[in-house]
Amino acid sequence: MRHWKHFAAASVGIILGVAALIFFLGLGLRVRDLLLVQVFPSEYLEVVPRSVDLDLFALRVDLGRDTLDSAALEELSAIPGVDVVYPKMRLTVPALASGGTSLFGAGMQTEIVADGIDPGLVTEEVGEAFHEVDGDPESPARPCKRDGDCGEGSYCDRVAGVCKPYIPVLVSPYVVELYNGAFRRAYGLPKINPDALRGLSFEMAFGASTFRPSESTVIRERMRLVGISDKAIPLGVTLPLGHVRSLNAALGSPEAGERYHSAVLGVGAKEMLPAVVEAVEAAGLEVRDRGARRAALVTAVMMAVLGLVGAALITVAAAHIMHVFFLVVMVRRREIGLLRAVGARRGDIRNLLLAEAAAVGLVSGLVGSLAALTVAVVADGFAASRVPDFPFKPESFFAFPPWLFISVIALAVGAAVVGALPSALRAAAGDPSEALAGR
Amino acid sequence: MIQLENVCRRYDGADTEVLRNLDLQVGRREFVSIVGRSGSGKTTLLNLIGGLDRAYEGLVQVEGRRLGELDDSELAAYRNLRVGQVFQAYHLLDHLSCRENVALASLFARGRERRDAAWARRRADEVLAGVGLPDAGGRAPSTLSGGERQRVAIARALFHRPAILLCDEPTGNLDTETGREVVELLLGLHLEGEVTIVAVTHDTAISAAGGRVLHLVDGRLEERGGAAG
Repeated sequence: MRHWKHFAAASVGIILGVAALIFFLGLGLRVRDLLLVQVFPSEYLEVVPRSVDLDLFALRVDLGRDTLDSAALEELSAIPGVDVVYPKMRLTVPALASGGTSLFGAGMQTEIVADGIDPGLVTEEVGEAFHEVDGDPESPARPCKRDGDCGEGSYCDRVAGVCKPYIPVLVSPYVVELYNGAFRRAYGLPKINPDALRGLSFEMAFGASTFRPSESTVIRERMRLVGISDKAIPLGVTLPLGHVRSLNAALGSPEAGERYHSAVLGVGAKEMLPAVVEAVEAAGLEVRDRGARRAALVTAVMMAVLGLVGAALITVAAAHIMHVFFLVVMVRRREIGLLRAVGARRGDIRNLLLAEAAAVGLVSGLVGSLAALTVAVVADGFAASRVPDFPFKPESFFAFPPWLFISVIALAVGAAVVGALPSALRAAAGDPSEALAGR
Repeated sequence: MIQLENVCRRYDGADTEVLRNLDLQVGRREFVSIVGRSGSGKTTLLNLIGGLDRAYEGLVQVEGRRLGELDDSELAAYRNLRVGQVFQAYHLLDHLSCRENVALASLFARGRERRDAAWARRRADEVLAGVGLPDAGGRAPSTLSGGERQRVAIARALFHRPAILLCDEPTGNLDTETGREVVELLLGLHLEGEVTIVAVTHDTAISAAGGRVLHLVDGRLEERGGAAG
């Protein structure tokens, strides 16, 4: 290392490359965490099968799978950071909803889509009102002639002449917004208070449609709106999962009762969100959660760009190392000749020069890491004292996990070794007598 | 001990061969001086014997081994253990101490010859004492006189007790008095040890001290007053 001036010159490029790479990746990692953990703080991620669509004239052909089976759910459960998996099932038969006289002054009938979710997913939001109806103690065995003959939570099915439980349903806030916006204006209907919707009952005919005649049995049941949740289907109604499963199996096929169209993952530790998103995508699935997914995408692109910039800097540094080692070998040719004269093999010379390059890379990597940390501390200090507070303003704009330093320093060592390799090979292959003569 | 037969060596771009059908026989424990004009090929001849130059035609055989047939590892071991080389410009590494310079060969010893650092230090000090520099081990070469540096270079060449010592103008950079001391040192080594010495020189003191004097003329060796060796 007596050629310290040469090695110092060689290391400048690597120090800058390492510092830039660690600084930008540290910044990117922190921004990613901020976006996914604080700006989009949802502890739930909705996961759907990755769609592979082919547009064929007027039709779009779905080439990928569009459902999740129990194996996929198990795979999701096994992802580190996932505390619970709530499957969602879409109603796979047509349905008509009718009612609303008490609210709108006139009865309405409309085609409606529905899905089913595990009540546990919304217990915190709507309480126990949204629950599975199977096994309800208010069994349908009680005969009746009118609703008053049945208890709270039940109605009288006048065709069968027995009490049946209301099926609890949820709607999305988006449905209420849509109604209070364009829909009510178009039909001259009153604006409604979302709170007043709770308790609204209406009838649904499963298996019935205005588009085509029913091919199978129609199941008529009465629904009761028990809450508004953003976990409900955006345009339609959401039923308890078990009920949708039963309807799909009864009116569709047994398989239809086993296929889920999405799953909601509960991620208790928010800092695990980025890792969970990565694992989900690695499993061939997509995160539907709009904010988190967009944030993950943006940060992934950002990380890739920053990584490429840093990698480009290190590549330039490797080219610089190549040039410097070319000079070093020229200057040291007599020394190399002497080493050969006292018994060094070609491989010894090659390894000696590569070890020196690796040492330059290691020291440069450490110095570059220290430089990145220093600049980050200064930047954080500046941000704390000079940048006005803004939402989600963090205490530090940087995240420096140990693997980042290890990877980047290893990259620096690798770049230095690769840069020095041509000179090392040339020096090792040289004739010792020529080297001793300074030729 | 050393046998060269019909050896030719031509450098790239040169019109003529620097060594031309050269023959040489050197017996065990001989002291041979090779003299000749500058550019006559004396250093080239030493490089061939020392295993530093392989771009030749003919036979170069030392201790029964044909150097041209040795692979890189075998040739490195030969240079490491069997032959010591002394250069006109000393070629000491200034960033190392004299002891480290002398022990340099120990870094490249392999197999049974591989010894630990403590042994290498002791051996270096022993050899330095043998060339008259018992206290120079910790000093930097740059603090020594020319004669002392050449002694350190000789000590380095003797580190592994080589069978052959090749000296290329060992007094070329020294004044007469210092050169004489170095010659006496080489002569002493020859008289007291098992080493065979081949010295290339302009120095008549060396050629006068050595047993045989060979003249390198037109790429061939001629024995003083007689035929080629």
